[in-house]
Amino acid sequence: MLKRGVLYRTGIILLLQAIWLFCALSARADDAVVRADILRLAHDDPAVRREAVMALAKTGDQRLEDFLESYRMGSIYIWKGRPVLCERTIMDEEMNELAPLSDPLTRRPLMNNGRQVVVPVAELTGISPTRRERRLAGRAKFLLRLSSPDAAMRLSGAKKAGDPPGIVEAVELLRELSENDPDRKVRYTARESLLLLRLNERTAGPEAEDRLAVVRELGEMKSMRALPRLRELLREITGKDHGAEGFAARPLRTARGLVRSHGAPAADSAEQVYRRAIRQIEIHQGFVDYFGSIFQGFSLGSILILMALGLAITFGLMGVINMAHGELMMIGAYTTFEIQRLAGHTPDNPSDWYYMLALPAAFLSSALVGYLIEVLVVRHLYRRPVESLLATWGVGLILIQLVRLRYGDNIGVNAPSWARGGIEVMQDIVLPYGRCFIIVLCAFCVLLIYYLMKRTGLGLRMRATMQNRDMAASLGVNTGRVDRYTFAFGSGIAGIAGYAWTLIGGVTPDMGQTNFIVDSFLVVVTGGVGELLGVIFSGLGIGVLTKVLEPATIGSFTVGAIWAKVLLLLVIVTFIQFKPAGLFAPRGRLADE
Amino acid sequence: MSNVALAKTDQPLGGVRWLGMHNALLLLFLAGLVGIPLLYYTGQISIETVNMLGRYMAFAIVAVGLDLIWGYTGILSLCQAFFFSLGGYAMGMYLAHHGGPGGMVDASGWNIPACLYVVYPYKVGEAPADAMLPWFWKPFYTLPATVTLGLLIPGAVAFVIGYFGFKSRVRGVYFAILTQAITVAAWLVFSMNSMKLGGTNGLTRFDKIAGYSLADPDVKMAVYIITLLCLAGVYLLCRYIVGSRLGRVLIAVRDNEKTLRFAGYRPHVYKVFAFVVAAAIAGLGGMLYTPQMGIFTPANMEAGMSIMVVIWVAVGGRGTLSGAILGALAVNLLYSFFTSEKDFILFTWKSEYWQFVLGGLFIGVVLLFPKGLCNIGRRFAGKH
Repeated sequence: MLKRGVLYRTGIILLLQAIWLFCALSARADDAVVRADILRLAHDDPAVRREAVMALAKTGDQRLEDFLESYRMGSIYIWKGRPVLCERTIMDEEMNELAPLSDPLTRRPLMNNGRQVVVPVAELTGISPTRRERRLAGRAKFLLRLSSPDAAMRLSGAKKAGDPPGIVEAVELLRELSENDPDRKVRYTARESLLLLRLNERTAGPEAEDRLAVVRELGEMKSMRALPRLRELLREITGKDHGAEGFAARPLRTARGLVRSHGAPAADSAEQVYRRAIRQIEIHQGFVDYFGSIFQGFSLGSILILMALGLAITFGLMGVINMAHGELMMIGAYTTFEIQRLAGHTPDNPSDWYYMLALPAAFLSSALVGYLIEVLVVRHLYRRPVESLLATWGVGLILIQLVRLRYGDNIGVNAPSWARGGIEVMQDIVLPYGRCFIIVLCAFCVLLIYYLMKRTGLGLRMRATMQNRDMAASLGVNTGRVDRYTFAFGSGIAGIAGYAWTLIGGVTPDMGQTNFIVDSFLVVVTGGVGELLGVIFSGLGIGVLTKVLEPATIGSFTVGAIWAKVLLLLVIVTFIQFKPAGLFAPRGRLADE
Repeated sequence: MSNVALAKTDQPLGGVRWLGMHNALLLLFLAGLVGIPLLYYTGQISIETVNMLGRYMAFAIVAVGLDLIWGYTGILSLCQAFFFSLGGYAMGMYLAHHGGPGGMVDASGWNIPACLYVVYPYKVGEAPADAMLPWFWKPFYTLPATVTLGLLIPGAVAFVIGYFGFKSRVRGVYFAILTQAITVAAWLVFSMNSMKLGGTNGLTRFDKIAGYSLADPDVKMAVYIITLLCLAGVYLLCRYIVGSRLGRVLIAVRDNEKTLRFAGYRPHVYKVFAFVVAAAIAGLGGMLYTPQMGIFTPANMEAGMSIMVVIWVAVGGRGTLSGAILGALAVNLLYSFFTSEKDFILFTWKSEYWQFVLGGLFIGVVLLFPKGLCNIGRRFAGKH
């Protein structure tokens, strides 16, 4: 590639080093070699073509992933002896089909005198892959990922290589990765895939000794991906036993270890090895599922608490049946959307700071709307709780329709990029960042409310007004103003709940009525009206119970999300039978109201 | 709750007398019985309008039931739409049995209705030919059985909810939230395809009722007349109940349950009774609604539907019975008026603005006319 010259030796060495560094960083192969390989894709001999695909895959050039995809779609052509990319053709006025050309590697338009090269379609020779090559190219794509500089890409490649049907060509690279990759998860997955590939080899039977070693190791690794295949192989072994040995072998089954291992008593039988490995993995899986349910329960519980906290103030403390509570959450969610729009945040062009800005914005906008609701409607209804239900439902309808007219029926809030992914606290137990954030946010809101209620003058006046309005008024508390602030504060908390919801759920104008309102009321009622602590306990309890019920099975019937919810409602209804005032019932004079 | 006593115990009709509401209602009934058919047969209104009025009257039946339980007994139930749907589904199953073409005959000789057959009638892993008509569809094959069950099932469900709820003294707002939660649970269950009730598609493809084609205008007129008569019957029944000694106890439950209990009554018995009657009435409304609508989906028991029933009664004036009818008809006529597009000179009225009208109605009625339309006159006359 480079002509060596004595005079420029130093410079050339430096240049070589730079190229080496460049190659190492972007894993980019020599352009000329790659282009030659691409040309071989058009070869007449299928063997050469396949060889070319694999050669391309092994270069590790990341630009080739897009290229291979284009190749599979049949968008790669040969034009005047060079490969070109043409994704769609255009028609000129005389209905001639013309092809604008791009470079297949850089994907930039081929330029000639400042304009993209456009040639008649007839000048192009297509490279259309056969089905087999198309499949091969699909696998080559993942093979490429194995040498990607991005750990997440390497991980997906390593995973794909081991998943059935498996990519046998990847063995070398996988071995390399399993030993030398800087990322622990990639090393683990590569090793796992390597073992899975060996498990799938058809050369030896499932009972061959090296195969058993693989099984043992997979068991030690607690590889959940291996579980279906191991079960399958176990069935093969036991099935074959029944077929070959029949009834005569039955009495020997308990002592099969001795019989099978040709007199070496210490060794296990193949079946035992498989069973032990499967058992190891199943125990691990059970643990992962259990932990996952608990975590999901806490996550759901924290959402329920967030939803119910605002209501615990407006309904629990103030006694207003605020049916517009769900809509206040909706306003929080739409404020988040609006801030995102203003910040220009999109998945391709993230500006993550918007999400931090949206938190106070959601609080303030919902609080403002809540303030207006209090002044215009709720103020007149403090002594008529059932009627406040109707009026606030009406407020909710109006808010829904206003938002629908402004934003239409469906919008997308894109989570900030840091909320994607999660931390793997243990093997296979991943805590998504978004969920963790909600739990933290929930704790923050609880502390905020406690601080406000117990440690500030405003909180003192709030409690005084809620306990005995007339007495508070006679002692100089401006109860009207306290009402407005309390309602606005509860509404603001609802806004924060809506803001948190954007991380995990869809945002629609009627999300409040369909998703939130019933759940929030149930949490507050179960917890006991007038007691914030009750909300925390009942929210967590309901959340964990839901997530524990969902995967439960009764015979062949899996409970699932809907029946879990129905069951839970029945549990709550029954609970209210026994404790009509909730977990933390108000005592004394308050209890009579 | 004593502050919501609208009618004194010595005057259970409340503000009705001011307008001569009895006479007004009688006039309205005669107009519906004679006037509407007359208008139709002279070509002034289409059969669709008659059909629509029939549907609104079915709603009015539900509203009368709610007024009995809310206006007179003081219990806000947010599951009337659920009872309505139980009746609606009962009638829907009957109509689907005798529905249009499609479906198939199962191994035991029962015809699987078309609307059920399109939504996964067989279990996962079964072939479509293995599908069997679910057992709970079978009782709804004949009309008398359907009508009986359409009244009994909502009544029985209400009995269970009411017995356990009232026995443990779940009151006021709590009962409202509890019933709303039950409605949501029921809605989730009825929306599932595996319940074999048509999933969210609901029951449809109706064809014949009692052997007559539902598409025939005369049959539609007959269903309308039946609905009207049922409404009158339900009204008279409730009027009888609230006028009797039993009705006095119901009002006492509303006004001061504690005192009643001290007087030796067991309030929960009366509450359960009123709740069951209201549920059966709602079921009747559902049964009359289904043939006039031609489809019955789980959307009829969404949380908002029950609250709609409450607003009908609130608009008309609770604790009056006649107000419930007037309110249901008025709100629904407003609905059909405001959901059609109208061109005013300066702007075009769009159907989606209806939500604003409805929301405004909720707020306005509560804030300005807490005693409903029936009592507006009294309010302006300065009488209380």
